[in-house]
Amino acid sequence: MATTARLKFAGITKTFPGVKALTDVSFEVMPGEIHALLGENGAGKSTLLKILSGVQRATSGEFYVDGAVAHFRRPEHARAAGVAMIYQELQQVPNLTVAQNMFLGHPLKRAGFLVDRREQERRAAEALAMIDPSIDPARPIRELKVAQRQVVEIARALLDKAKIIAMDEPTSSLTPAEFESLATVIEKLAASGVAIIYVSHKMDEVFRICHCGTVMRDGQVVGVVDLKATRQEDVIAMMVGRELLQEEHHSHVRDDVRLEVRNLSSVKTHVRDVSFDVRRGEVLGIAGLVGSGRTELLRLLAGVDLIAGGTVKFDGKVLKLNNPRSAIAAGIGLLPEERKREGIIPIRPVSINMALPSLGRFAISGIVRHSAIKKRAEEILKQVNLRPFQIDRPIKLFSGGNQQKAIIARWLAAGSQVLLFDEPTRGIDVGAKAEIYHLIEELAAEGRSIVVVSSELPEVMRVSDRVMVMRNGRIAAILGRADLSEQNLVTHAVGEAAGKSQTKQEHRYV
Amino acid sequence: MSDIASNSPARPSRLFSSFSVRDAGTLIGLVLILAVFAVLVPGFLSERNLINILQQSSINACLALGMTLVIISGGIDLSVGPTAAIAAVISATLLVSGYPVPLAIVSGLGIGVLCGLVNGVLVAHVGLQPFIVTLGTLSTYRAIALIYTGGNPVLGIPPEFRALFNGSLAGIPSSVVIVAAVAAVAWILLKKTPIGEYLLAVGGNEEAAYVSGVPIALTKVTAYVISGTLAALASLILIGRLGAAEPILGNLWELDAIAAAAIGGASLMGGKGSVIGTILGAIILGAMRNGLTLMNVQAFYQLLATGLIILFAMMIDRVTRGRE
Repeated sequence: MATTARLKFAGITKTFPGVKALTDVSFEVMPGEIHALLGENGAGKSTLLKILSGVQRATSGEFYVDGAVAHFRRPEHARAAGVAMIYQELQQVPNLTVAQNMFLGHPLKRAGFLVDRREQERRAAEALAMIDPSIDPARPIRELKVAQRQVVEIARALLDKAKIIAMDEPTSSLTPAEFESLATVIEKLAASGVAIIYVSHKMDEVFRICHCGTVMRDGQVVGVVDLKATRQEDVIAMMVGRELLQEEHHSHVRDDVRLEVRNLSSVKTHVRDVSFDVRRGEVLGIAGLVGSGRTELLRLLAGVDLIAGGTVKFDGKVLKLNNPRSAIAAGIGLLPEERKREGIIPIRPVSINMALPSLGRFAISGIVRHSAIKKRAEEILKQVNLRPFQIDRPIKLFSGGNQQKAIIARWLAAGSQVLLFDEPTRGIDVGAKAEIYHLIEELAAEGRSIVVVSSELPEVMRVSDRVMVMRNGRIAAILGRADLSEQNLVTHAVGEAAGKSQTKQEHRYV
Repeated sequence: MSDIASNSPARPSRLFSSFSVRDAGTLIGLVLILAVFAVLVPGFLSERNLINILQQSSINACLALGMTLVIISGGIDLSVGPTAAIAAVISATLLVSGYPVPLAIVSGLGIGVLCGLVNGVLVAHVGLQPFIVTLGTLSTYRAIALIYTGGNPVLGIPPEFRALFNGSLAGIPSSVVIVAAVAAVAWILLKKTPIGEYLLAVGGNEEAAYVSGVPIALTKVTAYVISGTLAALASLILIGRLGAAEPILGNLWELDAIAAAAIGGASLMGGKGSVIGTILGAIILGAMRNGLTLMNVQAFYQLLATGLIILFAMMIDRVTRGRE
């Protein structure tokens, strides 16, 4: 080969006590290449990135940067060698400025000990100019959008003269438009000779920007594929080790309306005048842009945010939704968007996480019967297929998909009849995704009414019987399955005449 | 690590399984300290001295149990000493004025409830930070005790009250019996009631607990009320022993209580803590002081030893928890 690989892994093996996390991992990334690292959670991607960035050390095997063997003992070593990491959860200090964040840990000094803010801002502006000149280096990070923060993080890598940039799920909280602008930045970087390692569960994005990809499973490389000449289904099959059937949607809608929402408005958000019904066994999808009020609507229904006006009826009875407790008592359960922040109690066992809202059901005269919790947890967690099936294990030790199953189990244990799923498959892998879809269908078949908010259009279209599109806190349209197409959903989400003030709203509900 | 290991073995017995690996570590620490003093101090392990240690630890253990619940909920209660002082001077005043003993006890405990309620409401309903709230009430409550008594001790506590708190039951000091009973109740509360799970959940992740329908405010207020009540109970034990109530009583009690809870495995980040561990932690501190006093070690060095044992316990904690 004419050029040396920018990055080359040769036989990397990593063992932890009792587990072999990586076995003989070898592949190379050329300068200017955008290389996808693909695999389900637990396939070993994170471990490999940790080794690359000097957080952990390989048990055996070597890797080379520009042909020189790398011995990174600490993250500083990796940075000095031109390896930059961009994490899903940004490592930034919100109250500091863009420039301060970019020089965090190694500030520019003047007279030996004073921080040279002006010079920092000048250089930060220089780095930002290459990718997004609209960002002011003197602004506090907290005033930036998530996508802009990602850009700052990339600019920081440029400042460090990074030759290799590894990105771990950089787009998990970005809108499609934001992704496009980030993609442009990434392509620009690659064109300048930087090697990019791109980790994402979003296949569309991977196929959109990556040239080739290394597919991992169970700590081993199962193949290196040319993404321009491979089908998405084939890559997924390689990742999960089996064919994932593109299954048909099964409808379980019955005739009776269970949830009736009329003219619902929020106190603190822009959700206004929302009306819709959900029938028994129905899955109602909610699509819309980020900020269109989807999450906020679910939070109203779950009693988390305060209702300003309107009514919510369940089985004909008007509900008082003052707080989550009252919503739960009424049979409504919320699977929150941010699982870590709003879903799990990390160090408590799965069984307790499951039983938390329904502890009263497991108590006799004020004493909780742990045997009863255990019995019920075994039943329900088996139904949702928790893996590994260890109900006493702290929930933080489970993968995202399995944490999600445990939260679903929480509402089954509480007997919830209305389930509100907010981005149920965000950040979880392809295999677990399919399981969640099955579970949604199963729960609908049992007669529950389900509302699913999702930013992934194929997902909404896969699980929903009807889709409600939201825009600016209001309902833009409610579409039956016959009218479902990505085109149609996007049109309603953006608004026919984007930018024009909407004087008339369509109020359609069945 | 300790949490997982404590749960995974094939449940030998219910009681044993509630005794976590972390608690076992605290127990080993206690055994080591007892062993060292047994070598250095003749008669240290005599029945009399062991009972002595328990008695000397009982007041701190009582406070530390309440503190543990507050810490588990993600808070802190710096005001336990002054709470105890108000309860002490008011109970003592009632006793000296000839009011019946039960009334004085109920009033004292009532003061504890009230002080805890103020803390709890400010934290849970007003939404202030626990550290600041209880730092404020630390001064406020102390001032109330001083103003109420004019700074003078209340002397002449009647013998029937003293017999109750400073007597003994089958050779065991009543303070030890009382605190053992409190510990049993606290253990049940934490392990067997919804409020115990709520405390762990609120401290573990308040936002998730809220979305899951946990009554956040009620849970927090309960923790502070219990802490205040136990501080008042501790003060009754003390004035029973001393026969007098001083308004400056309970100075720096909060620090010993926090130390006992932390040695016992409570995490100041919230969500974690153990009744058994806290009791063992209080006994460790008590045994240390007892042993060093018997060795005629200067008080300065006792303070030094207390400080070192806390730091040592935390370091062991960090190392054994290892990779998290």
